[in-house]
Amino acid sequence: MSLEIKNLHARIAGNGTEILRGLTLTIEKGKVHAIMGPNGSGKSTLSKVLGGHPDYEITDGDVLLDGASILGMEPDERSRAGLFLAFQYPMEIPGVSNANFIRAALQARMPEGEELEATDYYAQLYEKMDMLEMDRKFTARSVNEGFSGGEKKRNEILQMLMLKPKYAILDETDSGLDIDALRVVSKGVNSQRGAERGFLVITHYQRLLDYIVPDEVSVLVGGRIAMSGSKALALELEAKGYDWIKEDAAEPACA
Amino acid sequence: MSTEILETPASPATQFDIDRTAGNFSYPEQHEFDAGTGLSHATIDYISNVKGEPDWIREFRHKALDVFLSKPMPTHWASHDLDNIIFNKIRYYLANAQKPTRSWDEVPDDVKRTFERLGIPEQERRFLAGVEAQFDSEAVYSNIKAAVADQGVIFCGSTEGLIKHPEIFKKWFGKVIPTGDNKFSALNSAVFSGGSFIYVPPGVKVKHPLQAYFRINAENFGQFERTLIIADEGSEVMYMEGCTAPKFETTTLHSAVVELVAMKGAKLQYVTVQNWSANVFNLVTKRAIAHEEAEVKWIDCNIGSRLTMKYPGVVLKGRKARGEVISIALAGDGQHQDTGAKMIHAADETTSNIVSKSISIGKGRATYRGLVHIPKHLKGCKNNTECDALLINAGSRTDTYPAITVRGTGNACQHEASVSRISAEQIFYMRQRGLSEAQAMSLSVNGFVNDLVRQFPMEYSVELKRLIDLEMEGSVG
Amino acid sequence: MNAVVEASERGAQIPECPTVMTESPDFASRPAYFRGRQQAAWERFQSLPMPARTDEAWRFADVKALDLSPYRAAGAVSDAQQAVLLARSRGLGETAGRMVFANDRLLSHEVLADDMRAKGVIWLPLEQALVEQRDLIERHFMSGDSLLGSAKFAALHEAHVKAGSFLHVPRGVEVALPIEVFHWLSGDGAAVFPHTLIVADECSKVTVVDSFAGASDGPGFACGVNDIVVGNGASVTYVAIQRWSEKTLAFHLNNTSVARDATALALRLNLGGARVRDEAASHLRGQGGRSDMLSVSAAAGAQIFDQRTLQIHEQPDTASDLLYKNALNDRARTIFTGLIRVEPVAHKTDAYQKVRNLILSNEAEANSAPGLEIEADDVRCTHGATSGTLEEDEMFYLQSRGIPRWEAQQLITFGFLSEVFDRLPCASLRDHLTDLLHEKLG
Repeated sequence: MSLEIKNLHARIAGNGTEILRGLTLTIEKGKVHAIMGPNGSGKSTLSKVLGGHPDYEITDGDVLLDGASILGMEPDERSRAGLFLAFQYPMEIPGVSNANFIRAALQARMPEGEELEATDYYAQLYEKMDMLEMDRKFTARSVNEGFSGGEKKRNEILQMLMLKPKYAILDETDSGLDIDALRVVSKGVNSQRGAERGFLVITHYQRLLDYIVPDEVSVLVGGRIAMSGSKALALELEAKGYDWIKEDAAEPACA
Repeated sequence: MSTEILETPASPATQFDIDRTAGNFSYPEQHEFDAGTGLSHATIDYISNVKGEPDWIREFRHKALDVFLSKPMPTHWASHDLDNIIFNKIRYYLANAQKPTRSWDEVPDDVKRTFERLGIPEQERRFLAGVEAQFDSEAVYSNIKAAVADQGVIFCGSTEGLIKHPEIFKKWFGKVIPTGDNKFSALNSAVFSGGSFIYVPPGVKVKHPLQAYFRINAENFGQFERTLIIADEGSEVMYMEGCTAPKFETTTLHSAVVELVAMKGAKLQYVTVQNWSANVFNLVTKRAIAHEEAEVKWIDCNIGSRLTMKYPGVVLKGRKARGEVISIALAGDGQHQDTGAKMIHAADETTSNIVSKSISIGKGRATYRGLVHIPKHLKGCKNNTECDALLINAGSRTDTYPAITVRGTGNACQHEASVSRISAEQIFYMRQRGLSEAQAMSLSVNGFVNDLVRQFPMEYSVELKRLIDLEMEGSVG
Repeated sequence: MNAVVEASERGAQIPECPTVMTESPDFASRPAYFRGRQQAAWERFQSLPMPARTDEAWRFADVKALDLSPYRAAGAVSDAQQAVLLARSRGLGETAGRMVFANDRLLSHEVLADDMRAKGVIWLPLEQALVEQRDLIERHFMSGDSLLGSAKFAALHEAHVKAGSFLHVPRGVEVALPIEVFHWLSGDGAAVFPHTLIVADECSKVTVVDSFAGASDGPGFACGVNDIVVGNGASVTYVAIQRWSEKTLAFHLNNTSVARDATALALRLNLGGARVRDEAASHLRGQGGRSDMLSVSAAAGAQIFDQRTLQIHEQPDTASDLLYKNALNDRARTIFTGLIRVEPVAHKTDAYQKVRNLILSNEAEANSAPGLEIEADDVRCTHGATSGTLEEDEMFYLQSRGIPRWEAQQLITFGFLSEVFDRLPCASLRDHLTDLLHEKLG
């Protein structure tokens, strides 16, 4: 069981600029796969493309979730199929309380006519919030509105804990986090590691990987995987930067 | 007599009728009293004769008709759609009887069934202190709970009010909104029928709301109810009105006048959920006078109609009086919700607050017009106005036209307005959590009006949310 | 009661001049192509009705005060007065050029900066431009409709206009220093029709400062038009300093056209005049275009400043930002009616509109009507209006430091208004406006 990305080519819709240029990668259930790469290498595009963002169009390749292609699916269908995206910049939704939002997302996963049981729901929600050291007041506040950077990222992880996806993509979840928030967020992620779930952790810096220790590390350059290895590769990148990989890459990155 | 129901497919009757489709059914017409088509002084005599009114009101009506005829359509600022109202093709009075019953059992079957489908008797049992149900020109049912009536509260129709309680009625009738205030207040003054007369004695606090339900059943018809509510010193009352009509091909006119008087220290709330069908011109004049330390709050929700023009106002006449307008407008495809508020500060330390939120869908158009007037030599007056518009589709339109006059130091006025849309990124975020596009849209829209919906009575706010869900399902894809 | 005396005095003073209302202006001295246009404008002026109380464009205004019958086309000023006015025509320190008019007659035309002529900048008195720059005049002279209520007065201006400045900055040219133009009005009952036309071609840049001032305290009439055409990628800063006598009835009518990636920044400083009607319309006509509309008004006595604005977004991805600030003293009245209009095609519009009134007297009155008409959904539009008085806490704070109350009020008022000047890019200009504001606030 895995999330398989095969020779994926994607470009900005209507503009033609190709961002992903034959990306191939497999995220196995039970594993944490980290993707690193310099700015502009296509890291964030990858997460949006997997989520089905309308700004991008796929020109070639496929993405298989446990063997079935998701490319023809709407963003919400992909979500309900088990794909979760922790956004780099989570959106604010004025007037919609956090509790109602997560509840609506859970309700959307239930068969027609079945209602979410409120007491269980709140019990679960509070338990996860406690783990993430989130104040209870965040249930009544509008989704992400007026949240600090760290609060937003915790809220992303809270949603992940509640929705229990098969595959979770964490897009630069460490950006904008201080060390305490990073520790808490990582604790939340690590609590979800296990045989029934695969993770793709996108990051620019190695430091997140000290907390969420990956099983495999791949380097994205110019829209494709330039190199893969173990956790040691991340440390090497930290020490040497990305330039040596760029030079080694078979084709020069587009100008 | 035929009881065959003429209806278009509608969802099952809901508890509270603010679903657009739930009001879309009608019964065959049969009226004992019909003033005929068109408007003349003879129409007025017919109405006055049928109602058995005193001479002063007959004269009042005749004078009002002259004022109506002399006034031009306000199309130099208002929508030219007004020109599509053909006054001589409208029927001005249709009724079976002039006296409402006090029991639903005595209401004619098909009329009763209409109100049952709209859930009115059910609501009355559950949470209302009194109900008046108007069918075309006259109320067919009017009842007030004995416990409330025993406190001296009067709740009846306008005709009964002016005949039985002239000492209270005459003092305020036409004083808050003079006949010549605008063309449509003059029209109402000429041909008014139905509506409520309420008097709450000093110190009496009516715990549960009083409700009126206005139903238009006939085609080519004009409904002109007239409501006068007087909350005497220190009293409290909440009044709610709902309205529906079946969807006819021809235009229907609804032109009400509502006058509120809040005496010293009184608290008066007036809640409207307007859900006329899309062939109704809804041109309503609503104004309140708030005396010393009185509070008047208009909660106004406009969902239906073809064109609504309505700007509830408060004349803040006594020191420390407070006025508020909370307004939600939903302009669907082909609709124009032209709503707003007027706050006239006429005493020191008066405060007013206007919060207006509108949503334009498809080619719908929502317009806010506001007037805030703080003339000279007043101290400590405050107004705060917030207008937010949400545009759903590329062809949606919104306008904001406030007018604010402040004279002198010691007063403060603040107006803010914004226009926004639901961003594609916001929708993507929600869809990534598994919500469909329509769910994401309605969640956003509900979020947009959430702080205002909370001010509605519970029973209404649940339905409002459901209605928004329905509207959003139609607006995507 | 002494209307007869006044009228005869006025008549005695300027007997040779026809009244602007009833007698046709002298078209004979203009080039033929322009003469026809002026004749048509004169007919238009006569046929258009005077504004009525019920006109939406004249809401809040006292239309009865618009009687033009006392005013006559201004006569020439004496040689002695010319010298005085020339000496007073100094605003900014360094300028690229200076033009001075008194009673619609050119007194001086100095081109001071080398980059003006060398780079092909054309900067001429209007009378000369009518003859020498026919193409540009025909293309741009009052080419926009009068949309804000004063079509009749725009026609009056067009019929009577003879003085003013015409500026054409060619492609890519930047005029580093500001250009300064003075218009003086002298003599009781005199009328002037100052005109400003700025045409900035692609990627050019220029700053123009118009100073309108009364040479005496008497009544007068000014009916001016200032039009600005900003080409692709060009940048124009325009400042109008209005210091007419406090008995002057004045109109200042503007159309600004902003092309692709162009920026227009206009600031109006209103200090003088009895009744001033100020209309400004910015047309955003190309993607990336931006218009900043600023105004500072210090109203006192019985002054009435009546300002009407339009921000019209005709193309996608355009921005406009309006900030009008008024301080009102004595029996002064201000009127602000503004509209942001977003056309159906104008997605990605970013429009902002704010009017703030500081009311300093119990008899002063501020009217605000900020409007929005939005027909595109992907926009960011906000507007706001505030009317209030001095914060007592703020006053107390200053007084607790030993500053007398009147001075504290002045300081706060000055701070409230002068903040707008910070939006101007040029320091010497900011300083000049600051000085003038100080002078008015005393």
